[in-house]
Amino acid sequence: MYCKKECIAMLLAGGQGSRLYELTRETAKPAVTFGGKYKIIDFPLSNCINSDIDTVGVLTQYQPLALNEYIGNGAPWDLDRTRGGLSVLPPYQGMKGSDWYKGTANAIYQNIDFIKQYDPEYVLILSGDHIYRMDYRLMLKQHKTTGAACTVATITVPIEEASRFGICNTLPDGAIYEFEEKPKQPKNNQASMGIYIFNTNVLLEYLEVDEADPNSSNDFGKNVIPNLLANGERLYAYKFDGYWKDVGTISSLWEANMDLIGEKPILSMSDKSFRIFSRNRARAPQYMGPASSVKSSLISEGCIINGTVENSILSGGVVIEKGAVVRDSIIMEDVTVKVAHLSFRQLLMPSVRLVRAPPSAPRTPVATA
Amino acid sequence: MAISAAGIIFSNLNDNTLSRLTGDRTVAAIPFACRYRLVDFALSDMVNANISNINIVVNYNYRSLLEHVGSGKDWDLARRKGGITLISPYQTAFASSVSMFNTRLEALKNMKAYIEEFTEDYVVLMDSDNVINIDIADVIRQHERTGAKITVVTKTTDPRWSSKHPRMMLSSVAGKITDISMNSEHSDKNPELALNIFVMSTVYLRKIIEEAEAYDLNSLSGFLLKNYKNNNYRTYSYNGYVATVSSFLDYYRASISLAKDEEARSSLLWRRERPIFTRVHNSSPVIYKEDAKVESSMIADDCVIEGTVINSVLFRGVKVEKGAVVKNSVLFSGTYVGCDAELNCIVTDKNVHVSDGVKLSGNENMPFYIQKGRKV
Repeated sequence: MYCKKECIAMLLAGGQGSRLYELTRETAKPAVTFGGKYKIIDFPLSNCINSDIDTVGVLTQYQPLALNEYIGNGAPWDLDRTRGGLSVLPPYQGMKGSDWYKGTANAIYQNIDFIKQYDPEYVLILSGDHIYRMDYRLMLKQHKTTGAACTVATITVPIEEASRFGICNTLPDGAIYEFEEKPKQPKNNQASMGIYIFNTNVLLEYLEVDEADPNSSNDFGKNVIPNLLANGERLYAYKFDGYWKDVGTISSLWEANMDLIGEKPILSMSDKSFRIFSRNRARAPQYMGPASSVKSSLISEGCIINGTVENSILSGGVVIEKGAVVRDSIIMEDVTVKVAHLSFRQLLMPSVRLVRAPPSAPRTPVATA
Repeated sequence: MAISAAGIIFSNLNDNTLSRLTGDRTVAAIPFACRYRLVDFALSDMVNANISNINIVVNYNYRSLLEHVGSGKDWDLARRKGGITLISPYQTAFASSVSMFNTRLEALKNMKAYIEEFTEDYVVLMDSDNVINIDIADVIRQHERTGAKITVVTKTTDPRWSSKHPRMMLSSVAGKITDISMNSEHSDKNPELALNIFVMSTVYLRKIIEEAEAYDLNSLSGFLLKNYKNNNYRTYSYNGYVATVSSFLDYYRASISLAKDEEARSSLLWRRERPIFTRVHNSSPVIYKEDAKVESSMIADDCVIEGTVINSVLFRGVKVEKGAVVKNSVLFSGTYVGCDAELNCIVTDKNVHVSDGVKLSGNENMPFYIQKGRKV
């Protein structure tokens, strides 16, 4: 159905997130729980609706069951629309056969028909594995002002970490003259956030070119962006200076969670002007028992606390029994902790019943399943 | 076999006995247990019995209820067929005055043509002032099995039980109702309090309405009283948790019991097989700060706790500042408790602001109520 939109978003949510180990054994990375009640994908989806983007294609591939169930028809993000709204786009079979999504660019390439039915001027490419609040309208505004063919959102990272990212080398006005994917000797610390706004015609043209190249790994950072530069297209960096965290590893996921607590949290979920929406389950309120002690923590609905919780994040339905002590830990949904001391970077998986004697409890910094 | 039943919920039969809390909402819309409204219990009980044609009878003052119920989506009742319907009194071109629904039967008479369209075999009637998580499907099964004309859910109670609002008390022999009286005039040693949950066939409900029109009857209990001797009216004896909220003190006690009583919480709220549904908000988890101290309390999302909370029930978005102490209190959503303030036996309505250092205390038998939006 033809339905004109100015800008639509394509959200890459097929990533396995293999460095999250147990957390993504049975679920895609965007469906990993964050901050007690959110999933990582809540961030880009909420950013979209808060930025007046009401048409979002979500590209799924790896372990999509939990993710599909979670996003459903998009209602929690107000994306259940008659015109536009949220569409899940898995790889599919066609007359010419079928292909898994070979890379980020190929995933978009395979859904060119989806883009075309909205006839957008601009396409926003997003990934489903970052924790950040961003008003894409500001980025789109800059994109229009600079007359760029493509705008790449960038964030300042510590220079010693710059070699882990795609680095944008820019002129003083923000024009990108060089893009280096994971450079050994980075020239600066403006890292690509994996967020792009393309003029639709440019995107479609370069996706065709990329697809025709048998040597390409069909990736935006590795192939498409360098290709645009090589052909003299106007690329600009959009400098983002808010909170942004790539939660691709257990320790970065742990750190981002910990940013939510403490006396002056770096990240707050209670900003009502730019809300992060999530699917809410019908859980009972949380209950703090007579012997509970809770400090510097974030606790979700359905939790029952009869033990001690400090400096930790508890997801929905967690039960901490009497005598159990939980410190500096993140506990996923519906975990019951019986007499045990948990501390130092414990990340507990859903539906685990942990029973351990307190005195000689091993204290290992791991994700426990 | 799937149960074929429609539901009718009366939202405000006793608004007048809960005066403070029903200042600008109906009984059904009174906030309860951190994140619910009283209507959620009747609604969820019905939904959990697979009833998907639910009608809520409203009179006046129902803006808050309308906002809460919305399309019914949160109870899975936004349906093409059935779903939630609100029934309100209305004016017509031929009658300029609106007759209010003061009793169940008045409302039912008004709904006559509408009830004619029900395709379900049974009808379940419930009020909004019972906080209960009951297996309605089982009540209907018993009703079917015993061939009763009407089944009334009851709970055995203390003969001295009394309430401000007249309630039906029953006696029964082997489940058949043998005596009906109102309130505390009952002579039986073990009277059964009617929880005002009625099950009957749709056909029988239509017959009651016709009879009520013919004889100008205006109360369902009056109809029962007139006919119980010659008919197979039965009780369904319920032994689980129920709180009947017919006065402000009832409300306060039922709320606080949730903070203190494990049995109340687990039979009402923590039932995997029969969850209580409510309108969901996009709220964030509770934040406990360094100096937080919380005991025996139930706390809703979006709260920020820096002080002490004991034996209390906190609704969404309550802020308890450093040094503040909240005891035996029920704080509605958006309540702010300033630094070093102390509250004991207090019920605050929505968005009450308690300034720094203010000390307020009620008594367990006379809790103190602070109205919506007040700054103290």
